[in-house]
Parts: sequence; structure tokens; C-alpha cells
Amino acid sequence: MRVRSLCYFLGEALKSILRNGWMSIASIGVVAITLLILGSFMIISFNVNLFTQDVKEQVQIVLYIDEAAGEETRLELERRLVSHPKLQEMRFVSKEEAMERLKRKMGDQAYLLDGYEGEEDNPLRDSYELRTIVPEDITAVAKEIENYPGVGYVDYGSGIVEPLFQFTGLIRLIGLAFMVGLGVTAVFLIAHTIRLTVYIRRKEIMIMKYVGATDWFIRWPFIFEGSFLGMIGAIIPVLIIYYGYQAAVFWIQSNIHFIPMMPPQDVTTEIIKLLLPLGIGLGMLGSVISVRRFLKV
Amino acid sequence: MIEIYHLYKEYERNVAALKDINLVIDRGEFAFIVGASGAGKSTLLKLIIRECLPSKGTIKIFGRDIARLKNREIPLLRRNIGMVFQDFRLLQDRNVFENVAFTLRVTGASSREIRRRVPLALGLVGLKEKAFKKPSELSGGEQQRVCVARAIVNRPAVLLADEPTGNLDPATSMEIMNLLHDINVRGATVIVATHAKDLVDHFQKRVIVLENGSLVSDQERGVYINAR
Repeated sequence: MRVRSLCYFLGEALKSILRNGWMSIASIGVVAITLLILGSFMIISFNVNLFTQDVKEQVQIVLYIDEAAGEETRLELERRLVSHPKLQEMRFVSKEEAMERLKRKMGDQAYLLDGYEGEEDNPLRDSYELRTIVPEDITAVAKEIENYPGVGYVDYGSGIVEPLFQFTGLIRLIGLAFMVGLGVTAVFLIAHTIRLTVYIRRKEIMIMKYVGATDWFIRWPFIFEGSFLGMIGAIIPVLIIYYGYQAAVFWIQSNIHFIPMMPPQDVTTEIIKLLLPLGIGLGMLGSVISVRRFLKV
Repeated sequence: MIEIYHLYKEYERNVAALKDINLVIDRGEFAFIVGASGAGKSTLLKLIIRECLPSKGTIKIFGRDIARLKNREIPLLRRNIGMVFQDFRLLQDRNVFENVAFTLRVTGASSREIRRRVPLALGLVGLKEKAFKKPSELSGGEQQRVCVARAIVNRPAVLLADEPTGNLDPATSMEIMNLLHDINVRGATVIVATHAKDLVDHFQKRVIVLENGSLVSDQERGVYINAR
């Protein structure tokens, strides 16, 4: 493309945007609203992911060692746990430590435990706290190590862990469906709106064809117009989401402390990386689809 | 320059718009194509600018069978054929200068070229003073002159006019026809589709008569024959 033509195309695109003022505003509005919904949903999904990630990381297997197990069996058990490919972290908790924890947990009522503290009197067991590399593996791994010699019993929050994983999986699926649905809707809406601006200029396109314009010569201004509208339509939701999310994070963190939130900077970067190319792409795609029908002269 | 052999055009099955047309128009000729509405005049012009393809037969322009042009070659063909319409087809939101410059812009002409050529074309049609008026501020005759200027500004070898005087009063029609004649004298091949009998008779040029899609008469220095 020659520089002269490029200038002409950009000029035509800008002129057309200004000439079709209301139509341009409508197109920008459609893109902005669609991308705003999409972006908001992305934020929710980011944070749900963060939250479930957080919960998952707290999921662990507690393996209580059989009191009857001898020194030999205990060493063998430790060796097997360390070399297990699906486990990433293990921590030995002696029964004294377990007692300390229990006391701390009971707070004011810790006196009830007086008398259970001695080496012989402690009813608690030595244990290992284990984490799997992939949180979803927890059930399988727990069932496997249950049968190792020297294991008293294994606790991994069965009955809580499985539904949680099912729930987070479902949320992620719904989020994905929403995003795909909104994306498709956006392309339709934008193609439709831009088709109107193309329709207004169908006479111009026809004359261009008669005086010997190539199809690409006709297309380029519309493509620039579409991508420009798409870009503005993407910048608006990015700004709204940036400031809106900052306010939301501030409010939530000063009112509900324990909910982990993605930092606004990270979210904005992610949102820009997605929405800006998407807006420009949607605008271009809408233009190309719309012009095609009018090129057949 | 334009050679047409056994040309047929059907828009729908078995409804013939043109039947077995044979015609050769030489470089520098001036020809009228006459006939009642629906006789096939416009169809013939549309086929010449490759707006549609023949159902059968051949059209050669500048020695090339235009049915065999690749899609990207069609614009190049049209840059060599100027087109004037009954309804002018000017862009209402642009002034006269920009309407005429349009033809040059699509070919990627430089703005220097445009500033040089557009006034020449406007001078030729006598509208130099109205270059910065909008089409809506012009009379019908003046609008048609703009249309002619737009068609000739890149000096095409052929100028096609489809009922150029259809929307104009007799005096203005004569002016436009004189203008087309001038352009022919300057070297362009001019083909005018019309049913304006007075004008055709006045100019005493080649007259090709179409009736119901068939060529019924083709005379040098002819007059309008009302076949029916």
C-alpha cells in the first residue's frame, strides 16, 4: 500500500466516522457495552479462579501414623512418601506439636487439656501433612497411601473436596460459555451496525466500482473505520473496568478482609490484552462482512 | 475497439434480454443505441463494462475477451471506459471538484495530478466556476455535465452514456449531446443509449436499433426508426 493511498484511506475513514456521527456513536456503543459485559465477566472469573486456587492450596492430606509402627516401618513410610511422584510437600507434625496446636485452637478452654500433655498421656498421634502437586489428585493419592504399612488412617476432607472441585469446574465452564456467547453476539451486533454505515454509502461504493476502483481500494477505508470504531469501543470499557475494579477492590478489602482479590494492575493488563485486539478485530471483521455484499457490481 | 459476436443474455431462464447481437464499433466512432424501454440497451452497456457476464457469445474490448478477465482486471477495464448515467449518480455530500476527482483518486493519482486534471475536465464541460458547489446547488443539466466530467477526467478510450438526457429538458438535452459529440471529436469512442428521437435524427450518426433484445437495424448516418 502506498503512503498516499494510506493517507487517503485514513482520511476517508475519519471523514466517514464524522459524517455518520450517530451511526458511529451507535457502533462504538455496541462494541463498548458488549466488551464491558465481557470484561466484567472476565474479572469475576479471574477472581473466582483466584479464590478456588486459594481454597485448593489449602486442601491437604493428613496422614496419621499407626502408633504400633516401629522405627523401621516409620522410616520406610517416610521414604515412600518423599519419593511419591504426585506429592510436592510434606511436613512432619509430632504429637507434641499437634497438642500445642490444639491448645492454641481452644484458647481459653485449653485448661481442659491439662494432664494430657505428658509423653505417655498424649492421646494424639504423630502425623504427616501432605500436599499433592495437582489439587484434584488428592482423592486418588489419599486412597493409595492409606494402604502403606505404618499408616493409621488418612484424612483428606473427603465429602468436602470432591463437591468443591465439581463446583469450581462448573463455574469455569459457565464462564467460558458466557464469554463465547458474548463474543459471537458482539460480532453479530457490530457487523449489523457497520452494515448500516456501509448501506448508507452503497451508492458511493457503486460509483467507485464504475470508475474502476479495486475491491481492496473500496474495502480499506471501511476496515480502518471499523477498527477505529472497535478500538474506541474497547478503550471505553477498559477505562470503566480499570476505575470500577479499583473502587470495588478498595471497598471489598476494607469491608470483607478474607476474600483474595486480583490486583487492579494485573487485571487491567489482562483486560487490555484481550479487549483491545478483540475490539479492533471485531470492528474489522464487521466491516469486511458488511462491505462484501455491496462489492458485487 | 468493441467487438460483439453472437451475444445472448438471459436474466432468468428462457427470458432473453439480448438475442444474437453482432456488432463492431471502431475506435473514434459515435454510435446511438436506440429502442424502447426494455429493448436491451442498458443490458448491452452493462455487459460492456462487465457488470454482468453474457449467457452466450463474446465481447472483445481492446482485443480482449472480457468474460475471461480476472476479477482484479475488471477495474482496469473500467478505467478505460467512462460511464454517464441517466440519474447522474453524483455524491451529494461532496462538491463538484471532489465528485470529478473521485475517478482519479481510485486510480491512486497524486494530488498534483488531481489539481491539474480536474479543472481541465471541468473546463471542457463548462463548469470551472462551479467547482466548489454541491450537486444540490446545480441544475439537472449542470449535474449531468459533472457526471460527464467525472467520466472523462482520466481520458478513457470509450465513453458510454445510458439515457444521458432522460431527466433533462430538450434544450439542455441538446447541450449535453453536443458535449458528448465534442468529446467524440477529441478522439474518444462514444456510445449513447437513448430513445430521444429528435436528438438522434439531429446528429446523423450511426444508429443501432434494438427491439425486444434483437438487433433489427444498424445504419451509418441513420435516423431513429420506430420499429413498432
